[in-house]
Amino acid sequence: MNHYKLSISEINKLFKDKKLKPSELYSEVFERAANTESIIHGHLTLFQDENIKKAADADKRYENGTELGILDGIPIAIKDNINIAGYATTCSSQMLSNYISPYDATVITKLKDEGVMFTGKTNLDEFAMGSSTENSAFGPTKNPWDPSRVPGGSSGGSAAVVSAGSAIASLGSDTGGSIRQPASFCGVVGFKPTYGTVSRFGLVAFASSLDQIGPITNNVEDSKILFNSMKGFDPFDATSGKESKTKQPKLKNAKIGIIKELMEDGISEDAKLEVQKVAKLLESQGHEIVEVSLPLTKMSISIYYLIAPAECSANLSRFDGVRYGNRVAGNTSYEMMENTRAEGFGPEVKKRILLGTYALSAGYYDAFYGQALKARAMMKKEFTETYKEVDYLISPTTPSDPFKFGEKSDNQLEMYMSDLCTIPANLVGMPAISIPTGLSSNGLPLSVQIMSPANTDNTLLEFSQKLESVVSFTSLPEIKGDVS
Amino acid sequence: MTDKIDIKNVAKLAALNLTTEEENKLEKDLSMIIDHFAALSEMNLPDEKISIHPLGTPLNLADDEAIIFLSHEEALSNAPESSDGQFVVPPSLD
Repeated sequence: MNHYKLSISEINKLFKDKKLKPSELYSEVFERAANTESIIHGHLTLFQDENIKKAADADKRYENGTELGILDGIPIAIKDNINIAGYATTCSSQMLSNYISPYDATVITKLKDEGVMFTGKTNLDEFAMGSSTENSAFGPTKNPWDPSRVPGGSSGGSAAVVSAGSAIASLGSDTGGSIRQPASFCGVVGFKPTYGTVSRFGLVAFASSLDQIGPITNNVEDSKILFNSMKGFDPFDATSGKESKTKQPKLKNAKIGIIKELMEDGISEDAKLEVQKVAKLLESQGHEIVEVSLPLTKMSISIYYLIAPAECSANLSRFDGVRYGNRVAGNTSYEMMENTRAEGFGPEVKKRILLGTYALSAGYYDAFYGQALKARAMMKKEFTETYKEVDYLISPTTPSDPFKFGEKSDNQLEMYMSDLCTIPANLVGMPAISIPTGLSSNGLPLSVQIMSPANTDNTLLEFSQKLESVVSFTSLPEIKGDVS
Repeated sequence: MTDKIDIKNVAKLAALNLTTEEENKLEKDLSMIIDHFAALSEMNLPDEKISIHPLGTPLNLADDEAIIFLSHEEALSNAPESSDGQFVVPPSLD
């Protein structure tokens, strides 16, 4: 029997009942990786040999009844922009191809304390900038459902390995949809928590007012387990929040708003039909469905592509060939810096750095960056007002099912539009989850996104768990060329 | 419609040494994106209270006390060049 698609709680029960050992599951997951990685390329590095002893230690803990918790012995993959001490953190960039992290990210420390074993580091668009993993300096990840299609991005590797079964769950980071969009494309669950609930210390920064670490899992319950094991105040992250008492949305007889602007032009018929199907299911469960209008969501791409590149241009200024990363020689420090950055960064990263530098430069700051900040504040107000009327918001996660490699790489605006539905949650800081609910007319996964007010993460997860059980999406990819 | 982007100047500000081919492509790509921003930059938006934290929460700043998080050796472990416990860089002036 294969165990790699079981839930974490089911695996934990098997461990406790001595019907499965962590070392056996670990072997199974690596066998799965051996059978699928040559097709999928989800992991950049696999931590196989170094975990043999850790798996044996976990076996002993379960034998002695001294296991560390529900995550003890669970193999989890980590996006390669999150630091694990002693291992490379490349961000899928030539700039950091030789970087070895001297410290653990806070989320890694927390997961280690719970006995999690890491399968390895997963592929991403360079520095998390992209929606397809086509921007990885180390080659793209393929979608397990159809290797001619992208897995989404930027956490494409993290989503693909969970879908393919070479990890039980994974961590990603989400700046404009980078957890939810690939989770949707790969038919798995992706959760972006409220901004500030999960520490970002040890995550390589892209856009600091938007970045958030979160889980990608086979089901909502696993996301809930991982979120609760990682959340909490961290003095090393200045944006980390302390738990506050917040009015929670209703779990029964809730009012759910379909966002009108995310059901219009640019959204495929399949994606719209999926939301309507789920809305009917929710109605049959006693919830009320209403249409709500949030006009500024139409502007979210423009707002995001001013704020995120502006923050990226500041954050990535640290890659100057002095303290870490690769260096290309120059006669002066400045020349060395220019040469290093020219060679180390790929085309999309250069484009976003330049866009951000332009938006922040004298004469353009007020018209672009300042205006984007004002619009963001207005958008937040729109959402706050709407949440006075509804408990949750629903939309497609992505405008369409997974697209083919190269289909959007020559049309940057179309590529940026693939984050249309996911960006608002980052701009206003609220939690959002993508749940697979059906297949498109192409036989590829489609998902819906559910959002709720900031700091209502566990209620959103509980609500989503109920929805998931009603939808009952059980389809799995058949990986072409998989020899297992 | 926005002003034409001065790609050489922006690249200089960003410390990026671009080839002529890159300059031509990026100038075209960036102009297209910036044109897309026109609708937003022309909106008449009220002066809202702006916060860098999306939830408006104050930043948690650490006490002004030194802590040893990385050893000197660890901090230098990824440096392209170091000597006597310090980062080594080319001269600042020609």
